[in-house]
Amino acid sequence: MHRSLSIQGHSSGVIHLEKPYNVLIAGVGGQGNLLCGRVLAEAAISEGHRPTIGETFGASRRGGTVFTHVRIGNRDLSPLIPRGTVDMLIGLELMESLRAAVDYCGEHTVAVVSTAIVQTMQCVPGAKKYPPLAGILDVMSSICASVSAVDPMGALGEAKYKRVLNSFMLGAALASGIVPLKADRVRDSLTRLMQPVDLNVAAFDEGLKATAVVQARDSTAH
Amino acid sequence: MSGNEAMAEGAIEAGVGFCASYPGTPSTEITESLMRSASDRGIYVEWSTNEKVALEAASAASWVGIPALCPMKSLGLNVAADFLLNLNLSGSGRGGLVIVVCDDPEGHSSSNEQDSRFYAKAAMLPMLEPSTGQEAREAILHAFDLSRRHEVPVIVRSTTRLSHSSSLVSVGPLPRATPVASSSFPRGLFNVPRPAMKHRELLDKIRLVAAEFEQSTLNRLNASPDTKTLLISSGICQRYSEEALALVGTENTGSLGLVTTNPIPAGLIEKAIARVDRVLFVEETDPFLEDEIRSLSADLSVPGRPRFYGKRTKTLPAWGEMSVDHVVEALSAVLGVPHEKELQPAQDARARGAKLLIPRPLTFCAGCTHRNVYWALRQEKKRRGGRLVVAGDIGCYSMGVFYDEAMNTMQAMGSGIGTACGLGQLGRFGFESAVVAVAGDSTFFHACLPALVNARHKNANLTFLILDNETTAMTGFQSHPGSATQDKGQRRISIRDLVQAVGPDYMTTSDSIEISPLVELVHTAIAKDGLKVLILKGVCRLEQQRRGVLHEDLRRVSVDPALCRGEKCKICFSQFGCTAIGWLPKEKRATILDEVCVRCASCIGVCPYKAIRRE
Repeated sequence: MHRSLSIQGHSSGVIHLEKPYNVLIAGVGGQGNLLCGRVLAEAAISEGHRPTIGETFGASRRGGTVFTHVRIGNRDLSPLIPRGTVDMLIGLELMESLRAAVDYCGEHTVAVVSTAIVQTMQCVPGAKKYPPLAGILDVMSSICASVSAVDPMGALGEAKYKRVLNSFMLGAALASGIVPLKADRVRDSLTRLMQPVDLNVAAFDEGLKATAVVQARDSTAH
Repeated sequence: MSGNEAMAEGAIEAGVGFCASYPGTPSTEITESLMRSASDRGIYVEWSTNEKVALEAASAASWVGIPALCPMKSLGLNVAADFLLNLNLSGSGRGGLVIVVCDDPEGHSSSNEQDSRFYAKAAMLPMLEPSTGQEAREAILHAFDLSRRHEVPVIVRSTTRLSHSSSLVSVGPLPRATPVASSSFPRGLFNVPRPAMKHRELLDKIRLVAAEFEQSTLNRLNASPDTKTLLISSGICQRYSEEALALVGTENTGSLGLVTTNPIPAGLIEKAIARVDRVLFVEETDPFLEDEIRSLSADLSVPGRPRFYGKRTKTLPAWGEMSVDHVVEALSAVLGVPHEKELQPAQDARARGAKLLIPRPLTFCAGCTHRNVYWALRQEKKRRGGRLVVAGDIGCYSMGVFYDEAMNTMQAMGSGIGTACGLGQLGRFGFESAVVAVAGDSTFFHACLPALVNARHKNANLTFLILDNETTAMTGFQSHPGSATQDKGQRRISIRDLVQAVGPDYMTTSDSIEISPLVELVHTAIAKDGLKVLILKGVCRLEQQRRGVLHEDLRRVSVDPALCRGEKCKICFSQFGCTAIGWLPKEKRATILDEVCVRCASCIGVCPYKAIRRE
């Protein structure tokens, strides 16, 4: 509990946000989705903003859809991002990124998504086929302003990526340069909140350097 | 911190000494949060057997001067309501008693989306509806103060979006002293012989509260003399209204955010609506304020009363959760101005995307023993040509309704055995189905005992299955009287001994991992006449994982390709449906997905060809 935190007395250089900056983190339960939102929110606090975190989850327990809504502004906001007004979509899981795009993203959304997938209960036994990467990115690029797909498995290796996927994706999102937070602040906040620290910081820095494996921008949509 | 943590913080700052509660989403974290501070701050915190017991225990503390908190979910207040509607008259004593009720609009984690504010009206109790984490903390402090001074319980009402979202909360100083019980017990803690007099006294207290609410700084009016359209909202809906106003509002729009919603601050409202043309009510879930203010305005002598819009006029949906989007749409309609629909662009792409999506549905975990029990019930139903009715209850096993509808009914805590009491008497009217009731262990203690006694007393013909995994799994493994591990100073109560004392005609305890004996046991019990009780020991795989029990030491389970009948059978894959059973489309046979499998080997008993085995 942050007994020392207060809304006054923050460092200089506060960016005054006229409109809230909306970050949606899409994934499935167990991917560290909420913690990811917490890291961004604490970084935002350290930069003098007043973030609000909301959460939506499907009617599922383990392995269900989880969206974390981080709204960075200067007053308490509705915990859920109004539809179509996501500024940054961080997709921890590919199909959940599509679900988030369909429900919440719009023509101003910059999406940074992981190509890593988590099979659904119906896909694992083979009852349904997981949608193809190209199909997902095609639809997403028609909804969003831009979509960058990064490959955490390729960057971190199969053994490691699941543990630090969220830190890596935070780095990749920050690398887009449009999140109104400094990478150093996010790294500090990550150092305070994520365990083990070294692995997560390394994954975050790896994410900052990540280059998109697919970059899609739909020129016809808007 | 989350809204729930903010409320716990408020309670600690208010000097809470006693907290009693029963877990239920979205309220659970308030109590869990207090539990973390309990030993440091000398607070007594308990998970009671149900919400009525919790409220009774908390009231007792307040009666002798100990500030008490009683958090619960919406449905919990139904359970506690009988006591609540007596306690309001008796009074809550000098300690102060705050009831937090967390509603769940949309029913994300509930079987209904009830609006519990009507209890505040029914019991004529003061109610606060904070709209942010900061306000939630302040509302609790204010509620304790109010309760102490007027000696009435005060209800603080939250909703999922407030309880489960996080924001910055500035905190205050913590009290130094621990509360001490008063030396004398207060007199007159009963409503007889003249409940009407007690009712009159309550009305007097509420009049004083109403006068305070008129002045409360928790309510906020943002309007100017030019305001023509006013949004009146409460709770988290205040945030939706403010944001909608920022998006589509004009200089002639304003807002009134109400936190003190019972009794409503009539004077403030009258002043606020006096000069406006239109009022839009934004609230969850039912038109509570809307109806109160509509009826208030009927008494007003103001000429040119404003037009009211809300759920009654279908300007906003009267069901489901509110959102900024709903309010933007409603406000645009009221103002008669078009608004840019953010989802309008890329409709085609959204439709294409929706087609690609695969849901991640609600399902039993791999190796969940509840699935095994329902499997046995499905076999028994087949054996009886469909003549089997399963009356269900609340818990993880409620998912039986999605499992080939192996569970036929599901309402409130304890309703399985209760409705079975009725079904078990219907043979005389020609009702031919065998009757089964299902309940979990925590639910058994919460609400099944009176119905079980009733079943015995009236000789209802039914089989009661108690699915005992020794924890409150659904809400996050809180302890209950039958839990395998008990805190220091608590004594475990045996479900078996309790049931034995009621005297069923047949009773057996068995595990529910091995399928074949389970199927036979269920068949044998149901075939008998009278009151039969099966205590089926189960395992919560999540709880097991939490305790660090590893399944890797067990030998793997696999499918013998030579014995699997493939497409001709498919029983394990498409009927039993454990999530660890897969299908190989090329080989056309079943397979065990070792990365998902917990190696319980229950599925061995499901295969008629003995193709599944332990390696």
